[in-house]
Amino acid sequence: MITRQFGSEVRWMLRRPRTIIGLFGLVLVPIIISFGIWTAGEGSDGPPGLGAILQGNGMVVPIFTLFLSLNLLLPLVASIWAADGLAGEAQHGTLRGLLVAPVSRVRLLFVKLFGLTAMSLFAVTLMAVVGIIAGTAFLGTNGMMTLSGTTLTTGEGLLRIALFIILVTFQMVSIGAVALAVSATTEHPLVVQAATMTTIIVFQVLGQFSSLDWLHPFLITTGFPGLIDVMRDPIPTGQIWDSTLLAGCYLLIGTGLAAMRLITKDS
Amino acid sequence: MTTSTSAPVTTEKATVVAARTKGLRKEYGSTVAVDRVDLELPEGAVLGMLGPNGSGKTTTIRMLLGLVRPTQGEIELLGKPLPDGAEQALPHVGALVEGPGFHPFLSGRENLIRCAAFEPLLEKRNIKQAVEDALERVGLAQAAHRRYRGYSLGMKQRLGLAAALLVPRKLVVLDEPTNGLDPAGTREIRKIIAELHAAGSTVLVSSHLLSEVEATCTHVAVLHRGTVVAQGELTELLQAGGSALQVITPDVEIALSALRSAKISGRPLGDGLRVELAGTSAPQVIETLVKAGVGIYEATRWKTGLEELFARLTEAEEAERGMSAVDTLDGGPR
Ligand SMILES: Nc1ncnc2c1ncn2[C@@H]1O[C@H](COP(=O)(O)OP(=O)(O)OP(=O)(O)O)[C@@H](O)[C@H]1O
Ligand SMILES: [Mg+2]
Repeated sequence: MITRQFGSEVRWMLRRPRTIIGLFGLVLVPIIISFGIWTAGEGSDGPPGLGAILQGNGMVVPIFTLFLSLNLLLPLVASIWAADGLAGEAQHGTLRGLLVAPVSRVRLLFVKLFGLTAMSLFAVTLMAVVGIIAGTAFLGTNGMMTLSGTTLTTGEGLLRIALFIILVTFQMVSIGAVALAVSATTEHPLVVQAATMTTIIVFQVLGQFSSLDWLHPFLITTGFPGLIDVMRDPIPTGQIWDSTLLAGCYLLIGTGLAAMRLITKDS
Repeated sequence: MTTSTSAPVTTEKATVVAARTKGLRKEYGSTVAVDRVDLELPEGAVLGMLGPNGSGKTTTIRMLLGLVRPTQGEIELLGKPLPDGAEQALPHVGALVEGPGFHPFLSGRENLIRCAAFEPLLEKRNIKQAVEDALERVGLAQAAHRRYRGYSLGMKQRLGLAAALLVPRKLVVLDEPTNGLDPAGTREIRKIIAELHAAGSTVLVSSHLLSEVEATCTHVAVLHRGTVVAQGELTELLQAGGSALQVITPDVEIALSALRSAKISGRPLGDGLRVELAGTSAPQVIETLVKAGVGIYEATRWKTGLEELFARLTEAEEAERGMSAVDTLDGGPR
């Protein structure tokens, strides 16, 4: 029964026009990045850090793409899915239909979380795959050069990309879970998107002020830059672990709040 | 489940009920939507729920389906207490509440398939057939492939009905099912309700179409300002309402005094008077009037219809308070 519900949820998400448009937009990012680096040409001064090793190193494109997108684009997509998941269903009156079917409210939340996870994984993987293809097509590759200056084989590079996909997806799902909690309180999907994006942006701004040092460990956005350690050799696990743990807290809190709200919700 | 299991000795006969509420109350902030609602829905009955706008019909139905938590009171649905028993009871309940709710970008069929995926009683391999049957039943088979966005009001309503009928149900709850339907659609609803009734399902239907309720329902519950002001079998309620004789005459004063001396109650109404037939008969009344020399243009036997009963239950108070008619239904004598 639950697999059938999961399947139905994902099919429904995939059928939505805005999902398709969103995925199309996401796919453009690695293509534009590859194209941009390619036209900049050899020997030009690229952006510092990860950008610097992109030239002639197509396998880095997927990582660079996801790393960039995690700041705004991927949270936006997650918030859209979370917004449509509960607030959107309430707005269309379909939430009532699901609840009298009946789907228990806790079960419904898990169906929504599953949909969010599956679609996030799909979107991130899609971006990575297009990134690999576009990156190698435009920039060529021999293995993957790391930030530590070593070069990994293609196989090792793919493993790093897979690891990064999982880490980024987890961040995205955690943000989505908090967005789901907001989504359970309203009938207006836009409110959910606006609240989520505002929070992400405000967190990033707060992260700039060193006077607010004490606050930084609690901001999910603080964990984003550390994920790039995936591109070092060997991988230092400290920051990656911290970021993931922080995201895990957001996931738990978001799910808990969403469940509490959903269980007592009148619809 | 019977009434007698937990209750002490009662004089009521033990009826099997499909749903029952006790002392139901719902507050939204400071507004009391529903208060002290004791509803009984006998198994196999077709209960028509009547009431002016805002009288609490939808709120009661939502509580009955576990969509809304009552502030106070108990609910029993198909023998299970809510909200704990919701998961056992609700699979047997089909509902159309406050208009149909579907996704605009999916076709009618796809929408139903999505509903069907969440129906516990429907096995995966039967989904396709159940969806087609439901579409056929509500007359939407031709438009099933079209997007819901483009459906007319009546088509949307029909799709909502189809979702309620995806699985054979023990109880079907329809909140204003005829809303937006053409006359043919209204007739079809009547037919579907009759079919459900014949198949032994219990039906709860809220409506503003009194004639429809009179034609389709076995039981009636009238809500007014959040409370049940009357409920029971339709025929019993109408009988209790009594019957009357409408007499058109210019000699109202003479007629009234003649009736008074014959101990028959009557009151002026329109171009004549209205005489209650409780404890008397039409020929007797007319004989009395003729003997008193009253000129009678016309005498019509007036049986209490649902409209009149409804008007009496819900309008008298409003009129006294001088409230606007917007809040009440356009009932009154035919
Ligand atoms: N979500 C809500 N928030 C606040 N008040 C509500 C809410 N739902 C219903 N009410 C109030 O409860 C009362 C009963 O509403 P309800 O929708 O049950 O009426 P109804 O009998 O279904 O009316 P109608 O015939 O117009 O459908 C109304 O006064 C309404 O304003
Ligand atoms: Mg209503």
